[in-house]
Formats: sequence, C-alpha cells, structure tokens
Amino acid sequence: MRGLDILTEFSKKAGEKLEPKNIKIDDTTLRDGEQTAGVVFANDEKIYIAKMLDRIGVHQIEAGIPTMGGDEKDAIKAITALNLNCSILGWNRAVVSDIDDSIECGVDAVAISISSSDIHIEHKLRKSREWVLESVRTSVDHAKKYNLYVSVNAEDASRSDMEFLLQFARTAKDTGADRMRYCDTLGILDPFETFMRVKTIKDIVGIDIEMHTHNDFGMAIANAIAGVKAGATYVNTTINGLGERAGNASFEEFVMALKYLENVNMDIDTKLFRDLAEYVAIASGRFLPTWKPIVGANLFVYESEIRAATTLKDPKTFELFGPEDVGLERKIIIGKSSGVNTLTHKLKELGYKIGEKEAAELAEIIREKALLLKRALFDSEIIDSYNSFMGARAAKTASNSKGGK
Amino acid sequence: MAGELKERKINIIDTTLRNGEQAAGVVFSKHEKIRIARMLDEIGVPEIEIGTPTIGPLEREIIKEIAASDIKCKLFVYCEASPENVEIADCCGIKNVILNISTSDLHIKVKYEKNRTWVLNQLRESISAAKEHRMEFIVSAEDATRTDLEFLLKVLNLAQKREAYRFRICDTVSRLDPFRTFMLINNILNNTDFPIEVYNHNDFGMSTANAMASIRAGAVSLVTSVSGIGEGTGNAALEEIVMALKYLEDVDLGINTAKFREIAEYVAKASARAVPVWKAIVGTNVFAHESGIHADGVLKNPRNYEVFEPGEVGLTRQLVVGKHSGSHTILHKFKEFGIELTINEANDILALSRAMSVDLKRPLFDKELMYIYKDYEGKKPVKQEADDADV
Repeated sequence: MRGLDILTEFSKKAGEKLEPKNIKIDDTTLRDGEQTAGVVFANDEKIYIAKMLDRIGVHQIEAGIPTMGGDEKDAIKAITALNLNCSILGWNRAVVSDIDDSIECGVDAVAISISSSDIHIEHKLRKSREWVLESVRTSVDHAKKYNLYVSVNAEDASRSDMEFLLQFARTAKDTGADRMRYCDTLGILDPFETFMRVKTIKDIVGIDIEMHTHNDFGMAIANAIAGVKAGATYVNTTINGLGERAGNASFEEFVMALKYLENVNMDIDTKLFRDLAEYVAIASGRFLPTWKPIVGANLFVYESEIRAATTLKDPKTFELFGPEDVGLERKIIIGKSSGVNTLTHKLKELGYKIGEKEAAELAEIIREKALLLKRALFDSEIIDSYNSFMGARAAKTASNSKGGK
Repeated sequence: MAGELKERKINIIDTTLRNGEQAAGVVFSKHEKIRIARMLDEIGVPEIEIGTPTIGPLEREIIKEIAASDIKCKLFVYCEASPENVEIADCCGIKNVILNISTSDLHIKVKYEKNRTWVLNQLRESISAAKEHRMEFIVSAEDATRTDLEFLLKVLNLAQKREAYRFRICDTVSRLDPFRTFMLINNILNNTDFPIEVYNHNDFGMSTANAMASIRAGAVSLVTSVSGIGEGTGNAALEEIVMALKYLEDVDLGINTAKFREIAEYVAKASARAVPVWKAIVGTNVFAHESGIHADGVLKNPRNYEVFEPGEVGLTRQLVVGKHSGSHTILHKFKEFGIELTINEANDILALSRAMSVDLKRPLFDKELMYIYKDYEGKKPVKQEADDADV
C-alpha cells in the first residue's frame, strides 16, 4: 500500500515469535573487549572474569588471541586449566601458526577470522577472493585435524558481496567448520538488513550462524536480536558492551531483551549482572554510566513526581523487570522535579510526618534548593530543610497565637 | 527503500531540555538551558521541547526567557493533559504545547485511577483549553506501546479531528523491538495518514534502532536528546539518529554534525554526566585504533574501519600504542615524530612497548614511546662505538 510490503513481510516473520530458542552466548569481553583502545586486563582479572562468566552461565568464552604470545598466552592457558563448564575459544587469523598457538593453549574451540568484503580484501589484505577461500580451507582443515570446534569469522560481512559471502559460508561448511560468525565489523547494518542477510545465508547454506555486532550507530543489540530472529544461534557479546570503538552487543542487554521482549529465557543468572558489570568497569578502567541499560545505578532511581508516585503504586507501570532481577535497588530521590507525593513518601521513609499543605510548601523550597545546588538532595539535606521549615512554621504559629492574645 | 525515504521530510524534536533534564539527579541552570537551546538552534535542529511549566515558577521563568530570545527553532512546552495545566503552560509565552496522556489500561488504572472514557474526556477538555488559548498542540500517548490498538486509534482519531499538530507514540517502558515497532507504526498508518512522531527509551539498548524502524514504517518525526540523556536509560540520541539517517538511510537532515562533539561535551558538563569514551558517534574512542589489525587497516585506508571521517562529528583520529598494537603503528607513530625506523627496530620497540603497556595496564603516551626509543637506541650506539674503537 505504501510500498512497504517486503519490510512488512519480514517484520511479521520476525515480529511474533523467536525460533529457534536454543540460543547460546559466546562472550568476548576478554578478546574484543580488551582489544579496544586503552583497555588492558591483568591476567588475574582475566581469570576472575572467566570464572564469573562461567558461573553466570555463558556457553563459551572467547579468551584471547594466543598468537600474541607472552602474557596473553599465559592468561589463556590459565583459563583453560580451570576446567570450566563452558567452552573456551581462542581467536586466530586464518593462519596455521596462529591455530598452533591456540592448540598449545589447550582451547577446545577456535575462531578463524578473515575478511570477506572486497574493501578489506583489496585495501587491507591486498589479496584476492580466491586467496581468502583458500586460507579458510587450509586453516579449517588444520584445526579440524585436532578435533577443535571451529567458527569461521567473516570479517566485514556487512559490506561483503552477498554472492561471495554465500560462497565463503559454503566453503567454511564444506571444509567442516561448525559455524560462521557474521561480523558487522563497522556496525553499519540496521535490523531489517541484518535479518535479510542472515536469513539468506541460513536458508541457502544452512550453517550455524553467530552474530558479532558493533554499536557505531547504536544498533548492536537490535542487530543481534534481528540475527537470532533470522536463525542465528550464537551471539558474541561483551560485558557492558566493551569493545572496539563504540563497543559490541552488551551481554546483559542482550540477555534481558531476549527474556523480556522476545520471551526466551536463557538460564543465565541475571542477578549477578550488576556485580559483573562493576568488576569489568573497574578492570577496564572505564566508569559504569549511571544510565547504562540494565545495570546502571540510576535505572531504578525515581525523581520526577508523576513517575515516582505512579511507580510507588505499581512498579509495572514503568518497569518491565524489577531491580532485584539484575542486582540493583529501587530508590526515590528528591530534586528539582519532585512534588508532594514523593516528598511525603521520602520523609516517611526517613521517619518524619508532614501534612499535604506543608508538603506542597516544602516541595517548592526543596525544588529551589535543588536548582541552586544543581543536583538532587542528600537525605540529610532533606531532613535539614524539613526541620528549618517546620521550625519556622511553629515559630510563626506561636507568634501568631501570641499576637492573637 | 532508502530512495523512498530520501524524498520524505523527517523532523527532529529534541527533548534534552525537557526529558533530558528529567533524568534523576540532573539539573540545568538557566544559563545552561539557554546555551543548549542556542546550540541546538545553531546546528539546525528544527524543533525543541524546552521544559515543563507546571514544575514551578522557576522553571516558568527560564522558559519565558528562552521564549523571548532570538532562537529560531519551533519551541514546545510539555504538560500532563489537563485544562489547568494548559492554562499554566500558556503563561510562558510559547504557543506550542505537548499534551501528554497515558493510554494503556495499566497506566489509566494505576496512574489516574480512572477509565478510558475519562482519558478521552480529559484530552478533549485539554484540547479545548489549548484551542481557546490559540495554542498548537501535539497529543502524546504515554505507554502507547502497551495500549490496546483500538483505543490508541480512538485517541489518535480525537487528536486528528481536533487538528492536533502531530500524534506522538511513546514507547515508555521500551516494550518494542524494531520489528514490532515497524508493525505497530505500519498498522497505525494503515488506518490514518496523520503525522506520527515516535518517542523511544533505551532500556534494552534499542532506542535508535526502534526510532529508525518507525521512520521506515512511515513516521515523520522523532524525539531525540543529546547523547541520549533522559529519564532512566535515556532516549534516542540526537547524534546517532542524524548519522544513522545520513549513512544508513541516505537521508541528510542538513544538520551541522561537526558540532556534535562540542554539544555532547557541553551537555555532559551541564548535566554532570561524562560522555563515555565509547559513546556511539561522539565518544573519543570511536576513532581511536590500537589493535594491530585495525590500526594497520586504518593506516592503509580509513574506510577499512571507519564509515565517515572523524571531523564530520568534531572528533580526531588517534593511533594508540598498547598491548594489542602491531609494528605498522610503531612505524607510523615514529614517522610522525620524524624518525624513520627499520622493520627490525619497529619490531623490537613493539615488544618493549607491549610489555610496558601490560605492566602499566594502559596504553602508552607519546613521551613514553620516545623514552623506550631512547633507551633502545642508547644501547646500540654504545656498542657500535665500542666496536669502532676496537677497529
């Protein structure tokens, strides 16, 4: 009718239910997360993060790049030696010696990464498409000799010619690869295009697909969701979305979106999200924004009057899940958008009583104060304001009644 | 699809000064509000929401001052729909108002403790008040994405009949993914050709994707905020929407994007919320490359790892030397310092730099690289001189 038939059809397919439901997380905080400019984890931190990810229930950990050698290799060896429940994967270029380094580290899975876009093949690799396919064959062959689980990563898949990408996927599958990682390396897809491209590969080649998305245009999560709706079964995430440039699909956002928007419960212990997020924030030297989706400290903090008062009556009005689901707490704060209801509630919490008329007057005083201070008030400041206000009132009443006599 | 979008006029209404400030703990001063409004005006944002007059006299004073300034964008004030609120809103000298009313049964029951009929009546009376005051109005359906479609269309119908300026769909609790957003907006537009505006929250990290999906489905206006600042997780970020429209959909809104970093920094300071270095579009890390493969790729051709030039959003490209660096970065860095290294030298210095970076748990400053170089070179000449002396 308005020329939207294809999108409508896709949206209908993608919109209602999500199949398959056996979606697995391959977390790459330790690889792509650390690879981002400026981030270095200590080996002890890497080991701790790996343990936490295993405990929380991820299926696979991308532990690092063995061929970097030295410290990196030591960390990966230490992680494989933990004998965790989850699979441990090492990242490799499509180079046999890289894979040998992975094998030396004792991983059970390898990602073999090579660009599939002409831009990268010409300007980065300075090779040909045939060379790319041959590199895939040689390296997958080598890894399979050692019975490793093999993911072939199509780097810059989003800018790859679809015909060649299909050939790439088929080559990977025919050589025995277990899955293909679809890398939206530059974060340039929107969910509709993601859906169409992934569905095409899935339908035509039929290989297992993993989504690796970037957040350059703020669409990492939406594209990961679009990918699984199109049939991808693995998602490459990082805690807090840590990763190159604007980062990757955030582990906690993806898991919660799947649970609360798509009705797929992954058996991940979400109550540990805040702890995990805080740990990675500190280890990566990057603060955790108070507004960060799912785990930000301010998400269940209410200030504006209507929203706060309504949430107090029934949290479902403004929350799809509760703070306890992700290890946070609900809080009312008093500031420039506060009013009678929230102020009365807050004072009651602090052990003070106030009438409606007084609350209205005090709210005005407090809003003015917040505006002056340019922030919400501390509890002690609220109590102090309350005491001065009530004191002044009492004095006024007393002098009025004196005057009356 | 993109071709079709290209011809459509897409509007942006920025709510940094209204819902942005509504974020818990954020307070803008009068000067900051005026400065932000000016900046948005200067880069070419067509419409902005500047505040909620019913909050109190101070807020109204600020709104009046912005209204009296020479800012050219279309200014809106915001209020919960009621005739009394419209009365207050009209005192600020702005003739455009957003009438917000919840339409979901859950909100109607808990927030208003009323029923659907009351909602329609309340809206009707508020519209009448707005019309009496000769105000233009947007009808905003709060929690629209959890609202029974039939009732939502009824509300929309009322807005349309009474000649609202636009109808706003609020995904108040981030209930939708992009596909469901598309279906909802598409369904609505199969029933009406009224201009639809979409307001998103970022609770599951999908505000930008949902906004873009609604544009694809035929919505004509998006509500944004600088850096996505807003209640809870915030809103769709102005800079993400503008750049996504430009680079993913080929729609150029004619906004001066080179000021994006500057505005983000200003709002960050005014709101006491840092711009994360990884913030999409405007974070300083977005054009920083450390890992060998990426840095090497960018040196060969920036298009390998960048969609647009950093200058387009007011940023600069940086090559960072750290744990993941490769020899090409070292060669390039020293060339910048005016030193031509051989491949062997670059490899040696790379090994030393990586080790130091792991030790320090951070990338290296340029100075530190020079120290490494001096120590490294210092050892070689001494040995050579000794050799020479022998000869």
